[in-house]
Amino acid sequence: MRLNEWQLAFENYLLSDAVEAPSSWVTSLQGGPTLDVSGGLAIYHNAYRGRLLEALRGDYPALVYWVGDAEFEQWAVAYIRQCPSAHFSLRWFGAGFAGFLSGYLDQQQAAPLVEMATLEWAFTLAFDAPSRQPLTCEEMTALPASAWPDLQVELVPSAQWVECRFNTLMLWQAYKAGESFVPSERIEAMEVCLIWRSGQVCQYRSLGVEEASALQGMNRGWSFAQLCSALEVTHEEGAALQAVTWFKDWLSLGFLNRRTL
Amino acid sequence: MQKNLPRPGYGLGLRSEYYQPILEQSPAVDWFEIISENYMVEGGKALFYLEAIAEQYPVVMHGVSLSIGGPHGLDIEYLRQLKKLAERAQPVWISDHLCWSRGNAHQLHDLLPLPYTEESLHYIAGRVRQVQDFLGRPLILENVSSYVRSSADEFTEWAFLDALTQLSGCELLLDVNNVYVSARNHGFDPWEFISSLPAEKIRQLHLAGHSDYGDYVIDTHDQPISDPVWALYQKTLERLGPVATLIERDDHYPPFETLMAELIKARQLGQQVVERKSLCA
Repeated sequence: MRLNEWQLAFENYLLSDAVEAPSSWVTSLQGGPTLDVSGGLAIYHNAYRGRLLEALRGDYPALVYWVGDAEFEQWAVAYIRQCPSAHFSLRWFGAGFAGFLSGYLDQQQAAPLVEMATLEWAFTLAFDAPSRQPLTCEEMTALPASAWPDLQVELVPSAQWVECRFNTLMLWQAYKAGESFVPSERIEAMEVCLIWRSGQVCQYRSLGVEEASALQGMNRGWSFAQLCSALEVTHEEGAALQAVTWFKDWLSLGFLNRRTL
Repeated sequence: MQKNLPRPGYGLGLRSEYYQPILEQSPAVDWFEIISENYMVEGGKALFYLEAIAEQYPVVMHGVSLSIGGPHGLDIEYLRQLKKLAERAQPVWISDHLCWSRGNAHQLHDLLPLPYTEESLHYIAGRVRQVQDFLGRPLILENVSSYVRSSADEFTEWAFLDALTQLSGCELLLDVNNVYVSARNHGFDPWEFISSLPAEKIRQLHLAGHSDYGDYVIDTHDQPISDPVWALYQKTLERLGPVATLIERDDHYPPFETLMAELIKARQLGQQVVERKSLCA
C-alpha cells in the first residue's frame, strides 16, 4: 500500500463513527505484545474526538453549563462529524458552531442557544485580536475645541458586536457567577453586547438601541458633529449634551480609537 | 534579539498556567519552549506574556501542526505564520514532530505515526529540505509516541530518524518519554532506540509523564515523569553528555514548584554526568 493510500485509510478511520477499522486496512498495521492493532487504533480514534470535544467545551463553557454535558456532547459529536477541522490550530475549530446549531436544532430551540454560542465566540475573538492603545480622556482633553466637530472615531480592533434578542447576557452572567440559570426569554427591545479587550482582559457592555445606533454611526464614519445632528431628532437641544455624555463614557471604557484616514 | 541558550541548559514548556509565577519569581530556568501554534495570534494575553518572558529568557519554538509527513502539500500559510512568529520570538531553534497531523481533506490534530519505508523517507526528506529553505535554518524533529505501526516498515524508527538526518540535514529532538511509551507499546528495547541514534544530531531532549494502563502506555503529559523514564534519561546523558533538556507538562498542572523540582532533578543528573566525565578524563 502506498503512503498516500495508507494515510487516506487512516484519515477515513479517524473520521468514521465506527471504532472497528476495515479489515483490509488493519492488515497493513501491526500491534505490540500487549497492545493489539484494534486497541492501538482505538486510542487514536478516541483521542481525535476527545481533543475536538475538549476544544468546543473550552470555547463554549456557558452553553455546557446551560444545557449540561450530555446534550452538549451530542451536539458536539454531530458538529465534529459534519464540520471536520479545517484550520491547523484548534483555536479555530469552534468558529462554525453557532451556525451549525442554527441548522441542527429546531428553529424555536435554536435561537437563544445560537445567540449564546455567538456571544461566547465573540469573547474568544476579542481575547486574541490585535492590540491597539485606546483613545483616552486625557488625549481628548488636549484636543482644541475647534477639532471636535470633525472628530471621527472607530471601535478598537478587538471590539465585537453581538445583537441580543434574548436575555442571553443575563444567562452568561449567571454562568460566570456560578448561579442557577434563569429561564431564557425574549427581551422587549434588542440590546447590543459590545465586547472588547482592555489590556489582557475581556470587557463587555450592554447598549440600548439608541446608544448602539449612535456608536455604530460613529464606527461607520460619522463625525462628532454628525452624531449631534443625529441625536437632535430625539434629544432636540439636549443632543450635544447626550453626545458628550456617551462619548466620555465610551472613552473611559477604552474601546475607541481615533479614526485614521 | 535572540538570546543564546546556556549549554546544556534546562528548560520548561511555557504554558499560560505558569505565566504569573514565572514573571513574579524569575525562576532559575535556563530557557522556555513555546508551542508555536498557541502564539500564532494577532494579540492578547499569549503574545503579551511571550514578549515579557522572552525579554528575560531564551525561547525555543516547538510546533505540532507542520505535518511534515502528511499527504497534503506543505501549508504555506502555516509556514508564513511560523516564520512571522520566529521573527517576533527570536527562538534559538524551531522544532516539530516526525509525524503527520493533517490528512487529505481535514486537520486531524494528532501526531500520527508514519510507515518507515524508503518511500516515506524520500518524501519526508524532500519536504524537510523545503521547510528548512523557507525558514532559513535547520529543522529539528521529534520522535512521537505511537500505538500502532505499519506492517510495511522497512526501517526501525531509530534507523529511519538516522537516515532522515543524513538525507535532509535536519536535527533531532529526542523525547525520552516517547521512546519509553512506544517501546512499551511495541515491545522493543528503548535503549536500542536511543543508543542507535546519531549523537551529534541530537539537539534537545524532552521529558514528560505518561499514563500507564498496564498492557499499554499513553503519552498524556499529565503526570510526573516516571522512574523508568528518569532512568532512561540518566543513561541517555551518560551516552550523549549533557544535552539541552525540557520538561513538558500539558494537563493536571501541578504548582510551579513541583515542575521546578523536576527541572532541578534533571539538572542534577546532568551535572553528575559532567562530573563523572571530568573525573574519567
